[in-house]
Amino acid sequence: MKKVRVATIWLDGCAGCHMSVLDIDEAILNVARRAEMVYGPLVDAHEFPKQVDVTLVEGGVSSQEDLEKIRTVRQRSRLVVSLGDCAVTGNISAMRNQTPTRKLLERIYVEGADVMRVVPSDGVPALLRHAVPVHEFVKVDLHVPGCPPSAKAIAFVLEELFEGRVPDLRSKVKFG
Amino acid sequence: MTRIQDIGSFSTVREAGMAKLVPNRPRIGVGMGTCGAGNGAEAVYHAFAEAIGQQGRDVKLVSVGCFGFCAEEPLVNVRIPGKPLVVLRRVRTSDVGRILDGIASGTVPDDLALCKIEEWDHLTAHIEYGTGFPKIPSWQEVPFFKPQKKIVLRNCGLISPDDMEEYVAVGGYQSLYKVLIDANPELVIEQIKAAKLRGRGGAGFLTGLKWEFLRKAVAEHKYAICNADEGDPGAYMNRNEIESDPHSLLEGMIIGGYVMGATEGIIYVRAEYPLAVHRLTRAIDQAHQSGLLGENILGRGFRFDIQLVEGAGAFVCGEETALISSLEGFAGRPRPRPPFPAQKGLWGMPTNINNVETWYNIAPIVTKGPAWFSETGSTKSAGTKVFSLVGKVTNTGLVEMPLGTTLKTFIYDVGEGGTGGKPVKAVQTGGPSGGCIPQEMFDTPVDYETLAQLGSIMGSGGMVVMDEDNCMVDVARYFIEFTHSESCGKCIPCRVGLDQSLRVLNAFTRGRAAESDLDRLDEIGRMVRDTSLCGLGQSAPNPLLTTMRHFRHEFEDHIRAKRCRAGVCEELALSPCENSCPLHMNIPRFLQLYKEGRIDDAFEAVVLDNPLPASTGRVCQHPCDDRCRRRAVDSAVNMREVHRFIADTIFDSDRFDELAERIVSRKLPPTDRKIAVVGAGPTGLTAAFYLALLGHQVTIYESNPEPGGMLRYAIPEYRLSKNVIRREVELIRRLGVEIVTGVAVGTDIQLNDLDNQYNAVFLAIGTWKEAWVYLAGTESKGVYPALLFLESVAKDQAMRLGPRVAIVGGGNAAVDSARTARRMGSDVTIIYRRERKDMPAIREETDAAEEEGVRFRFLATPHRIVSDEQGNVKAIEVVRTTLGEFDASGRRRPVPTEEIRRIECDTVILAVGEAVDRDFARASGLRIRENGTVEVDRYTLETSRSKFYAGGDLISGASNVSNAMGYGKKAARNIDARVMGPGRWERIASQLSYGSEIPEEPVPSARHYAHELPAAERVENFAEAVVGISAEEALEEAARCLRCDIRDHHH
Amino acid sequence: MADKISVRIDGEYVAAQQGQTILEVARAGGKFIPTLCWLENLSPVGGCRLCIVEVSGVGRLLPACTTPAQDGMSVTTNSEKLTQYRRMALEFLFSERNHQCAVCVSNNHCELQSMAQRLGVTNVRYPYSFPKMRVDASHERYVLDHNRCILCTRCVRVCAEVEGARVWDVSGRGIHSLIVSDMNRPWGDSKTCTSCGKCVEVCPTGALAEKGFGVEEMVKRDRKVRRLAGRRGGHV
Repeated sequence: MKKVRVATIWLDGCAGCHMSVLDIDEAILNVARRAEMVYGPLVDAHEFPKQVDVTLVEGGVSSQEDLEKIRTVRQRSRLVVSLGDCAVTGNISAMRNQTPTRKLLERIYVEGADVMRVVPSDGVPALLRHAVPVHEFVKVDLHVPGCPPSAKAIAFVLEELFEGRVPDLRSKVKFG
Repeated sequence: MTRIQDIGSFSTVREAGMAKLVPNRPRIGVGMGTCGAGNGAEAVYHAFAEAIGQQGRDVKLVSVGCFGFCAEEPLVNVRIPGKPLVVLRRVRTSDVGRILDGIASGTVPDDLALCKIEEWDHLTAHIEYGTGFPKIPSWQEVPFFKPQKKIVLRNCGLISPDDMEEYVAVGGYQSLYKVLIDANPELVIEQIKAAKLRGRGGAGFLTGLKWEFLRKAVAEHKYAICNADEGDPGAYMNRNEIESDPHSLLEGMIIGGYVMGATEGIIYVRAEYPLAVHRLTRAIDQAHQSGLLGENILGRGFRFDIQLVEGAGAFVCGEETALISSLEGFAGRPRPRPPFPAQKGLWGMPTNINNVETWYNIAPIVTKGPAWFSETGSTKSAGTKVFSLVGKVTNTGLVEMPLGTTLKTFIYDVGEGGTGGKPVKAVQTGGPSGGCIPQEMFDTPVDYETLAQLGSIMGSGGMVVMDEDNCMVDVARYFIEFTHSESCGKCIPCRVGLDQSLRVLNAFTRGRAAESDLDRLDEIGRMVRDTSLCGLGQSAPNPLLTTMRHFRHEFEDHIRAKRCRAGVCEELALSPCENSCPLHMNIPRFLQLYKEGRIDDAFEAVVLDNPLPASTGRVCQHPCDDRCRRRAVDSAVNMREVHRFIADTIFDSDRFDELAERIVSRKLPPTDRKIAVVGAGPTGLTAAFYLALLGHQVTIYESNPEPGGMLRYAIPEYRLSKNVIRREVELIRRLGVEIVTGVAVGTDIQLNDLDNQYNAVFLAIGTWKEAWVYLAGTESKGVYPALLFLESVAKDQAMRLGPRVAIVGGGNAAVDSARTARRMGSDVTIIYRRERKDMPAIREETDAAEEEGVRFRFLATPHRIVSDEQGNVKAIEVVRTTLGEFDASGRRRPVPTEEIRRIECDTVILAVGEAVDRDFARASGLRIRENGTVEVDRYTLETSRSKFYAGGDLISGASNVSNAMGYGKKAARNIDARVMGPGRWERIASQLSYGSEIPEEPVPSARHYAHELPAAERVENFAEAVVGISAEEALEEAARCLRCDIRDHHH
Repeated sequence: MADKISVRIDGEYVAAQQGQTILEVARAGGKFIPTLCWLENLSPVGGCRLCIVEVSGVGRLLPACTTPAQDGMSVTTNSEKLTQYRRMALEFLFSERNHQCAVCVSNNHCELQSMAQRLGVTNVRYPYSFPKMRVDASHERYVLDHNRCILCTRCVRVCAEVEGARVWDVSGRGIHSLIVSDMNRPWGDSKTCTSCGKCVEVCPTGALAEKGFGVEEMVKRDRKVRRLAGRRGGHV
């Protein structure tokens, strides 16, 4: 059987959703059997591959870099899955949205700092005005809410995707 | 004030009123509603008062309400004893003296007279004002009034609203008296039911039924409420009714109160209507003093009182349950129904709420009976309705029309068509939550059911007319913004749904909407409509849903082309002139560059925007003029003449080579893509210019011996010299465009060959097929089609003309033929079936033709051509036409009469239009439309055949040079994107920087016009008849620009 | 003794009494109709529109919470259209304010959250508004977080109808509507609040909460309040 090419990507999130993917107990064996992990924080690949079957996205789109990444992901993936509340709703990453970015950065890097009181600009991607869910920029094929999504939900989603189905998650998942 | 207790005291009051209304001395009534006052009626009133006082004239002066014709305000009515009441229009203080002088000698100024009223049916009484003044039209003969029927407005503008006696004089309170004498409330309810009167607030519920509910309700207190919370922007019928005739409202309510057994009446009126509140308060006082309100009304033992409550102006309070909340002192938020107000209304008591206008219908129904009432209107919707007809229509005002009248009658008969003769595009009925109905559906009868079927509503009677200058996306946005800000917030769909809709609509007007937003708007609109709690939310999406249904292409334009054709959505255009230009020239830029003395840069900027700047500088229809903001100061900047000047200066100088080289240097590197362009008219030349700039190898195939198309072969030399076109074509050749002349595609070379040899093909063969009228005698010798004639002259093979030439048609080809024939020494008459203002030809051209001695025969259409025995034209017979209904073009349709006239002539030129060569179109295998034009994608200009594009007149039908060039430019851009991928177009745009200072004050100089040679001189030969402006004039003209392209108004 | 009537709900006949609303009849018959603003024994306002149902012969959708059941009425509580509209209403609510379930005191005990799960809302298709909302922590025992408020007005009604204090009201209108205490003064300064906590118990989300609770710890207990409200014998 041909293995499903799976990528994961980490935008503005806490890595909790990635951890949860590992935390699905014995279902992980099935993942190992059925999937080839081609990209992600867990894989040693530098460039996002040209052809990916499924990409799991963790985190909201918060910076210019996130935006470029997610556009590449969309171009190169057959299915894009928003995994977790930050990718699905903005969630924690969006909690900064009530504060103008400039004020926010100054609060953290100037007022809140003891040394080097300056907002970094070199080599740091510019923040977007708002951190927003992935689907506000690119088409998303499946939303798996949860902070993080339950192990059961993740296992079910992967199982279904490996079988070539887009899972029906209604009533199986919740926000938060 | 006399207390009315019996028939005797009634008569006393009525006689007193009659003596005021039709006194035995002259009476002047000044229309002093809010509308009249806003138009200067107060000053007119004071001027009259002062003049009458100073001159000691025996004239009675009163202020009256409004007679409804807003466009003609201020209105003043004058009655001289024995003579009819004459309505004067647009009266200024300066007219006061001569009006009074006229009255003294028994006349009125004819120039001010709008109409006369000899007798008037107040329904509750009939007043004969007098007879005379045969020259002044009767009011029913004025188109604005003709289809109207005044039931609700029966007294408005005629009686004094401040004087109850005048109201009694016209039969006021008679109906109430009758109801109280008869003492049979059930019968009155039966009458209202039989009359089929429906609520005029918009929902259209049967009034009689509603009254019956309240009558049957048993409770300690029962309330009858008048909803006068007229909150629709642009609607003012209730205000006018109350301001002009407050007692009619009171009478209706007292009758209702008696019949329904109500204990108290309440009028909930907007606080923003101070004059209405003032007059109503006074009317209530007068009614009290006369014994018509309070204890023992009319001596019949009935007790009823009316209280006036001023609302704070929340739109949602028009909703009856919200109105009740507001009356109770709570925030105006609707409550769920049931329970309905008739069960549990104000203070939990049974309550009836009717709109102002509903109450105005009561007294006439009681007096004249239900059968009389239901004679007017349609089967399901009886009676009349007052509408405020506003927007882009010639006659604006308050009109009372029988229900079931078609929209056509409103707009074309009462309204007399679009403002300035522009075609009307749509009408929005029912206020901010009404829908937009497109012109194609103007046969729609205006009644409750039909409007609802079209996704609109009757509402309270708003009627906003729109033309091509209205952007329907912006219309939807505007109304959603209104309902959004007026939503009470109680239910989720209205509160959040409208907010989400507004966000999407704002994105549309900024060009930031996506394709998927169309479906999103539709989904939200339906949800809000279907699930909202009250009428506000349920109807709020109407403007959105109907504009999306009927004007979807406008929404698509905002997404796909990022264009707002109406030029309303400012962020989608650089400036109004740029938006109106089919080539989207950056006009402020070249004006500024020239103003800075940088003529070479100005030339580059002009040419990169418009490759035929000298030709268009002479013959463009200059739509930019109509949009120029400078018009608000004096007149439009003469943009066309400035680019003509810039182009001529360079083309005629020895620096042409240098500047041509500069343009050529802007070429992108060669792409090795080969593009064929078919037709070297303005469309093809434009496309070729840009495709060459983009680095492609371009070949134009042209069947004529020289390039230029209509510019070369149709437009006469005196308008556009052949030398001008040659220079422009030379520039295009230098870019590497190969022009193969004398080759007809379809004959000499086949489309399949082009398909094989080129990466893309652009078809721009125009409309060279002459439309033809088939009438007796067209086969006679000396009958020519205009294009053929003009072409023969352009090729120096002119046809022979007789000494007398008749030309049929009103377009540019007709006028060009006429002026050409004059130059060939003939006597010329143009025959046109409509009026001069309807002629499609450029107005300057028509004027010039007239100066050159061309005669016009308007309102005439050819009947037959008469020839002699040799078959030579002898005369043309024409039928006189009259103008009938308006057609889709916004002009009246000519209707032939029986009257035939003969015009002696030796030559007839038919200039009745041009069409696409159907044979070519059919042979091409491309999909063609019914009118013979080639079908293309609106946005890409791609035809049904892959790789083939088409543009210009071939797809639009006969149009004009700049439109045609616009297609050429668009085609080049899309062809390039197709063969090379997107993102290259911007690279060939001019990158010149230029000043962005807004002039502190508009420079004072007036518009400079090009210089016409004297008619006698120019008619002698074919030399250019109009000489361009000078360098100094061009400089002043450029400086006149107000720079509305600059958005950041920092200083 | 009220008149007995018979109502068909989703094809099944359900016995009911004259004067009951469709919602009451359905609940009594074990039928689920989603609600958010409705609360047993408080006067219904018909604001959230989740309880809309289809009634045969009626062209419009009707709110079950305020529409009286009538003899012979045939009600459909679930259809594709109803589900679509109910989901949209929930999506609207999520987009309107800032609902970060993960860090909310009411996480896992929230009616909005569980209703979204029940109706299968897995994402919000409309752009979030991200409004800047206040948190009123001036009361010594309770806190009002406007970020989580869905404007159901249960607090307004329970305070007026059961406690009789009328502390709460809605200020502003449309999208700018806001729950306020005592003429828009800080809650802690309220002269009318009896600190009874009824508003907190009936609040369906984490908008009103008791101080001192962390994420997921705020569990509302509205049963007592509902019983109290019922004892008052109908609503005002």
